[in-house]
Parts: sequence; structure tokens; C-alpha cells
Amino acid sequence: MNPRFIFETFLKLLPYLTVTLEYVSLSLLFGTLLGFLAAAAKLGRNRPLRWLANAYTTILRCTPSVVLLFLVFFILPAVMRNYLRINVDAWPALFFVVVTFTLFLGASQSEVMRGAYLAVDRGQFEAGVSVGMTEWQSFRRVVLPQAFFFALPNLTNTVIYLFKEGSLAFTIGVVDIMGKAYLVNATNFGLKALDVYLALALIYWPLSVFFEWLGRLLERRFGYTQVKPEAGKTAESVRGRGRSSIRGVRA
Amino acid sequence: MNLDYDFMLETLWLALPGILVTFEIALVASAAAVPVGLVLGIIRARRVPLLSQLARVYISFIRGTPLILQIFLVYNSFPSILAVVFARLGVEYNIFNLNPVVYAFIVFSISETAVLAEVFRAAITTVDKSQLEAAYSVGMTAFQGYRRIVIPQAMSAALPSLCNSITDLIKATSLAFTMSVMEITAIAKKQGAMKLSFIEAYLDIFLLYCILIFTVEKVLKILEKRARAYQQA
Repeated sequence: MNPRFIFETFLKLLPYLTVTLEYVSLSLLFGTLLGFLAAAAKLGRNRPLRWLANAYTTILRCTPSVVLLFLVFFILPAVMRNYLRINVDAWPALFFVVVTFTLFLGASQSEVMRGAYLAVDRGQFEAGVSVGMTEWQSFRRVVLPQAFFFALPNLTNTVIYLFKEGSLAFTIGVVDIMGKAYLVNATNFGLKALDVYLALALIYWPLSVFFEWLGRLLERRFGYTQVKPEAGKTAESVRGRGRSSIRGVRA
Repeated sequence: MNLDYDFMLETLWLALPGILVTFEIALVASAAAVPVGLVLGIIRARRVPLLSQLARVYISFIRGTPLILQIFLVYNSFPSILAVVFARLGVEYNIFNLNPVVYAFIVFSISETAVLAEVFRAAITTVDKSQLEAAYSVGMTAFQGYRRIVIPQAMSAALPSLCNSITDLIKATSLAFTMSVMEITAIAKKQGAMKLSFIEAYLDIFLLYCILIFTVEKVLKILEKRARAYQQA
């Protein structure tokens, strides 16, 4: 181990963090949109759509990230060439990473959103309608803000998940921090592999801890204060939601 | 788009034994991670000085870095570490002849232990403190109290997360191909590269994992339901 070399590599890898953050933010954006659509399909009245959304979630849950990444990387170009007449050969590999994680996120987020939507009492929606809002208005102004707070704790986990799992992008040639580390390792003929990957760990580890801390901060700021205790439940059991849910199962 | 179905079927058959390797890795990792994770979980829940902090750093590192990075760290450092150990012990064995699956065992055990330590820590904190105090009050030692009173109750709280972490582990073993372990992904990938039929090969891997993990998930759900049957009464 050579601390000087580790530090130099660390500085070399750091600029590529922008690539990492690029696919994290893009996947988060599109994944959330897809998740919203899938959640709407699951909660909707259209039976085939509901079935489709559920099947999509089940399949994606049963697929390892690297497998879907390879599948998208090899199949998508062929599909687009044959059916859409679009040549994606020159497109950046980042595109396939974003598609892959959008698909994953769409599945997981749809479950989160469905849960968050169902956690908001039906009476809230009805109250909105009863004061003359349209159904959409009642959803957007009354239900959605409350559902958002239920979904919040999952947001941090999702960002950390993307940040870590995205490292697999190097397998299809994306040069993010992981990809750069892989290249640096190769230029040293693998002789300083341990140092290179330790330098990489010095980027991943603190940032993950930072994201987690940020998530806790957001949760404390916006957390469950929005939830009024239901009749028959004490404020205590609502505040300690993590515990009470386990207690609820045991009861 | 024309798929070569013969090749796909052939590769599917070739990759099928890879499932055994996948299970092997998952089994060894779980066998190592359950006891060690439980001990670490108790250490964390009891806030044992020093040990708790050490465990926390270890868990934080594993949870804060991608698995692929851990794989590369172990794969690039353990051969030389093992070589020194073997030399000290006087074992005449060329470390580079070692089956890479050994490194897969090491990596997945290390990472699964950290995951389970958190699962068990959370589960133990759900068991009320008075349970352990009651055990003390009837004259049990701390070990007896944990083994007979706290752990059985904590286990039923840990079960859902435990099952989840096992399916996650099986999914994660797909990364073992980076250590040239010949499991499902590696076998099909190799076939695909030989015939330049990547699409068919990756469809095979996708299919195999989907069925495998779906089945494992369902079986674990059934087992979980049976283990918790007494609670539904």
C-alpha cells in the first residue's frame, strides 16, 4: 500500500464523479416518472393495465442489475434498428445505463408510491371533493403532498442504491468513477490494484454516508409530523413508525 | 430480429448447472453470515464498547461501497494475503491454482455478514428490554437469556428481512463472473461470446434468473408463513 499513490489516484478519479451523478439523477428522474405511471396503472380500474404493471414489477424484482444492463445493452440497439429504424450505435453507453436503471426504479418506485398513496386515508380525498375540488385537484392538492412524505424515507435509499449499483456501468464501457478506476488499474497492469480500488472506496464510502445523513436530516425535517394520529392510536406509536409496524405484525 | 432458438436452448442447458454454483455461493455465504451476523447484531444492539464501534465501521463500509468494488478489493488482495498465510503455515500450494469460487465465498460472506448484522440488530431492538430482565430475574445468565428468550423472539421479527436478503444475495452472485467463477452468467456469457450471439445468451441468463429468483422468493414466503404460523392464531 502506497498512501501517496492512493491519494493521487483519488484525485484522478474525482472528476468522473460527474458521470456517476449524471446517471444517478437521470435515472432518478425518469424512474420516478415511470414509477408514477406504473403505480397509477396498479391502482387504476383497467384490468389488463393493472396486470401488466404487476407483471413488470415482479419480473424486474427477479432480475439482477448486471443481467438487465447487459440485456438492455445488447437487445435495445437491435430492437431499435429493426422496429424503429433508429441506429443507436453511436449513442453513448450512458444511455443504456439510464434505461436500465429507469426500468429498475420504475418497478421499485411504483411499489413505494402505491404504498404511500394507500397510506393516505381515503377520507382526505373525499374531503377535498366535498369542498368542490375536482378529483384531480383533490388528488394533487390533498393526497399527493401527504403521500410524498410517506415516500420520502425511500428516496434516500433509492439514491444510495443508484449510486452503488450504477458502478456496474463500467461493464458496458461507461467511464464513471468505477470505470476510470478500472482503466487506471489496467494502465498499471493490475500491479497496484489494491491501491486503486482503495482510492475508489474513499469516494464511495464517504458519499454514501453523506447521502444517508442527508436523508435522516430530510426525514427529521419533513418526517412524520405531517401524520396526525388516528383515533385509537397514540401519538407515540405514529411517531415511531418503524417500530410500531413491527409491533403491529406481532400483535 | 431473428433469434437463433437452437443456440438459445443449447446455451440454456449448458448454463443450467451454473445454478448449483449460484446456490453453493449463497449457501456458504449464508452459513458464515448468519452466526457472525447474529453476534455482531447483538454487539451492536447491546452497544458493547469498542467492539460495537468496530462493527459499525465494518458495516458502514460494506453498506457504503458497491459490491463490485468489494469483489475487486478481495480478488486483488486476498491471493497475496493467502500466499503469506500459506507460506507461514508451510503449506506447499500455488495460490494461483486456487479455484476462484473460494474468493466468491469470501466476498459474499463478508458482505452478507454486514447485511445480516443490521437485520439482527434491528430485530433485537424490537424485543422489549424487560424480556431480558425477566430472564435475569429467574436466574438465567446473559447467554441463556439471549439464546432462550431474546433471540427466538427477534428471529420472528427478522424473518422477512432475512428472506429478502437471501434473494438479494442470490441476485448478487451474478457478479461472480467478474472473478471468473463459472456460474450462470459466466457460462452463458462465454457461449455468447464464442458464437457472437449475445442477445440469445443474455436472454438465457435473464430467463434463468427470473425463474430461479421467483421460485426462491415463493419458497421463502411459504417457509416464512409456516414459521410464523403461531402468530396468526
